[in-house]
Amino acid sequence: MLLQLKNVSKWVQSGGQRVFLLKDINFWVNEGDFISIMGPSGSGKSTLLNGIGMLDAFSAGEYAFLDQPVHTIKEKQRAKLYKEHIGFVFQSYHLIDELTVKENLEMPLLYKKYKSSQIKALVADTLDRFNIVGKKDLFPSQLSGGQQQLVGIARALIASPKLILADEPTGNLNSKQGEEIMETFTQLNKVGVTIIQVTHSEKNMAYGSRVINLLDGHIV
Amino acid sequence: MFKNHIKIALRNLVKNKGFTFINIIGLSVAFGVAILLSMTAFFELSYDQFHENKGSIYQIYTTEQTTKEPQVSLSNPVPLAPSLQEEIPGIDKISRQLEEKIILSFNDKQFNLDISWVDQDFFSIFSFPIVEGNKNHPLKELSSVVITQETAKNIFGAQDAIGKTVLLQINQKEEPFVISAIAEDNKPNSSIEFDIAVNFVRHSKYQQNKDAWDTKNHQVYIQLDKEVSVANFEKSTAAFTNLHYKEEIDKLKRDGVLPDQNNQYMQLHLFPFEDNHFLSFPAGKANVSKTLPYLVLGVAFLILLIACVNFVNMNIAKSSTRLKEIGMRKTLGATKKHVFFQFWFESILIFLTTIIIGVGMSVLLLDPFKTLFNTEASLGSTITPVIGFGFILAFFMITLLAGGYPALLLSKLGTLQVLKGKLNGKGRNHVRDVLIIIQFAIVILLTSGAFVLWGQLDYMRSKDLGFNKEHVISFPLNGKRNSYEAIQLIREELERQPNIVSVTGSDNNLGIGKDGSVYQSILGFDHKGKGVKTNMLVVDYDYPETLDIELKAGRTFNRSFPNDSKSILINEAMAKELEESDPINKQIMMDDSIKYTIIGVIKDYNFRKLNKKIDPITLFMDTEWDLYYGYVKIAPTNIIESYDNIKSIWQKIEPQAAFLGSFLDENIDRTFRSEKIMITIITSGAIVAVILSCIGLLAISLLVVNQRTKEIGVRKVIGASVSSITILLAKDFIKLVLIAFACSVPIAWWSTSNWLENYSYHIDLTLWFFVISGILAILIALATISVGTIKAAMQNPVKSLRTE
Repeated sequence: MLLQLKNVSKWVQSGGQRVFLLKDINFWVNEGDFISIMGPSGSGKSTLLNGIGMLDAFSAGEYAFLDQPVHTIKEKQRAKLYKEHIGFVFQSYHLIDELTVKENLEMPLLYKKYKSSQIKALVADTLDRFNIVGKKDLFPSQLSGGQQQLVGIARALIASPKLILADEPTGNLNSKQGEEIMETFTQLNKVGVTIIQVTHSEKNMAYGSRVINLLDGHIV
Repeated sequence: MFKNHIKIALRNLVKNKGFTFINIIGLSVAFGVAILLSMTAFFELSYDQFHENKGSIYQIYTTEQTTKEPQVSLSNPVPLAPSLQEEIPGIDKISRQLEEKIILSFNDKQFNLDISWVDQDFFSIFSFPIVEGNKNHPLKELSSVVITQETAKNIFGAQDAIGKTVLLQINQKEEPFVISAIAEDNKPNSSIEFDIAVNFVRHSKYQQNKDAWDTKNHQVYIQLDKEVSVANFEKSTAAFTNLHYKEEIDKLKRDGVLPDQNNQYMQLHLFPFEDNHFLSFPAGKANVSKTLPYLVLGVAFLILLIACVNFVNMNIAKSSTRLKEIGMRKTLGATKKHVFFQFWFESILIFLTTIIIGVGMSVLLLDPFKTLFNTEASLGSTITPVIGFGFILAFFMITLLAGGYPALLLSKLGTLQVLKGKLNGKGRNHVRDVLIIIQFAIVILLTSGAFVLWGQLDYMRSKDLGFNKEHVISFPLNGKRNSYEAIQLIREELERQPNIVSVTGSDNNLGIGKDGSVYQSILGFDHKGKGVKTNMLVVDYDYPETLDIELKAGRTFNRSFPNDSKSILINEAMAKELEESDPINKQIMMDDSIKYTIIGVIKDYNFRKLNKKIDPITLFMDTEWDLYYGYVKIAPTNIIESYDNIKSIWQKIEPQAAFLGSFLDENIDRTFRSEKIMITIITSGAIVAVILSCIGLLAISLLVVNQRTKEIGVRKVIGASVSSITILLAKDFIKLVLIAFACSVPIAWWSTSNWLENYSYHIDLTLWFFVISGILAILIALATISVGTIKAAMQNPVKSLRTE
């Protein structure tokens, strides 16, 4: 088992009252899963994903990632955990505009203190694998949306994480580009990468092996 | 990682060209100005610090109890130094020093030089290194003379100077001297300056005053033995003073003067020579005041502060565009430390660039700066290892604070929050507001300070001093001829000229002439059983007439009265001091033998600088005393022509001497040197502060307008007018300026009124000085803000709403 959530809740204080974004979520993920989280706007999809990605802490409940209790360990260890094992893909790509494709890909490796020879090799591999060698010196603004998202995925994958978290990865793309991105995910899943995606679209949902439906913070 | 940071830093800087430019310009100007100002300050502070015996060199001064406050004198009688050395233990070395002008002749060429009459120990007490000649005892022979390298070059050119014989004019007689040593040139930061130095014993009045304890005309420097303290020395001289100054002390007792707490009427004191440059004697006490250099350092600090505030404010405001990047970096594994160092590094990059530009700027501007501030300061003469290290430390601290604070803020942001691109920052705006308040408080402080200083200077310049300063030219009688003869010759030559009104002479200048010398001679005597002190001025005929000094009673010196050499003119203050209601024809014994008759009373005129009250003065006309300055009053027409005319006549009469004439109003202006330096510093500081604050305010207002684009759009749709929106946007900033005004006025008031206290004649401080600078600050702020706000307010609301 890659991760497990037990009775997880998330709330915010608003006007002296607790407003639940997530309530009593129980949920587990095995290695190699491709999970789609579905639900209408405001149902808590992104909150759940951010919690799993450790960008945000749950208010209550237990969260185990690779048998480590995420809800009790220190910030530093938690950062280490997600740095090592989780890659993020965002709806609006979140590439750094001032860096070229190649430099964007390098960045996670720099923070993980890879040696420069290793970085070179990994970047070259990744550029090759995603067929973007020709674009390595371009800036994000010079790429189409689909290409930018491809770079985003490549960046998420470059340090070989166990888990990819994708928050509406095709939300800003047209249908053809979206399909290509989803194809890429499928390919990755086939070679063993665990993927959790948040999506609105039934079509994208179909790529996943398991679906979790959220409504008003509950799994339905 | 490092490379990545450099890349992103550079690309970001290039992307925000305008911002980068403003940031760099602001900081560079601030660094450049701060470097120049602190250089001046450190130069001032370095005065007289180069003497190796610093710490054990002292100068003697005497305090004398009077019926009012104790009086201080730096002048000493000739026998003091030898007697001290003989009778008081603990004196290692001692030297008298008397600074005068002298005419030196060599091969029919004449040079007007600054001479110091000193004792043998002079060159071993002070560090004026001998580069050539007799290094150990350069003044051992009475006919020896030490000259500086520059003087040697002027006199002898490339020839070897050592052993050459020159003639010095002493008592109207040329006496031969042999050059025994060449000293290094005077350092710019030395209080003691001389072209040549000769043994004190050779001074013209030496023989006459050898045993006279009541004639005082020179300074005495002492180097104490290591184990002797100043307090001990002062204590041990009590009996000495009582013995040698007995006559004076008896007179003081007779006049009912009370002794000091140690039961002394006169007391010898020492002050450390290293404080010499900063010494004054208000109310009879030695007071070391380093206000000016610290004020300059303060202004430099304030300017740096403003620039750093700009930097912090702009960086924080600008960081909103970098939020996404920070968030992304965090999800990719960057820790707080990473983010902090990245942004700090970017700041360091900017700071390094600006310090390089700043240093370059200060080097380029050094020469104009030196003339502007009338300083000899240079990078070479000021930088010591300590100052250099301090400078680097200061730079490091600035980058850490100004660069580190925004970096710290950004690194502390939560990942999710920044990924959404939102800053929840009510709290940070407080910091920004406080910083803007500080900026404008500094601006108001400096501008109101500048206004007050200008007001005082203008007051002093335009004040009626009691004599005609516009149409009178004074010039030193620096030739070889007897001064009365010279004046007579000029008078004869000029009488025929149409634009010359009258000619006279005196032994002192008014204000400071081109020769730069200032002196004062005071005479004490008994009148009606009471001690009286008066300034002495030796004049020629027509002195009050030439200077338009009003005659209150009696007559002035007149050629038809042959006995006028024993007549005197006094001013009103003197008449009061003498307690004579009708002083005319009263006789005064100023000496044991000579009776002087008062023939007239002149109106009080400011013969000294305006920070002094008008003291009693007595005008003598005795040809036994030399004149040193000539005065010519000219008609108000063809002024330049008249000046040239006088110059050419002087050169005809004294072909060897330079003509150093100047109008009295120029001379008066020269006495305001320290005020002018202060004004220049504060005014230029104020200008730089205003410019820098405007830059900062402009940038911030633009950003605020940007952030509120949506609000502006909504308000316009609802029906707000352009002016109401402009007011809305400007209001917040004006509030800050008003708070700044309220904060700075008390400080400005307190410090300027303190400063004005130094002047016996000063303007009245009114609130207007501060209100005007406050209004000025508000106007400047408004003009700056309106650049962005009006444009935003005029924009089509559809457009501004669409950007959301």
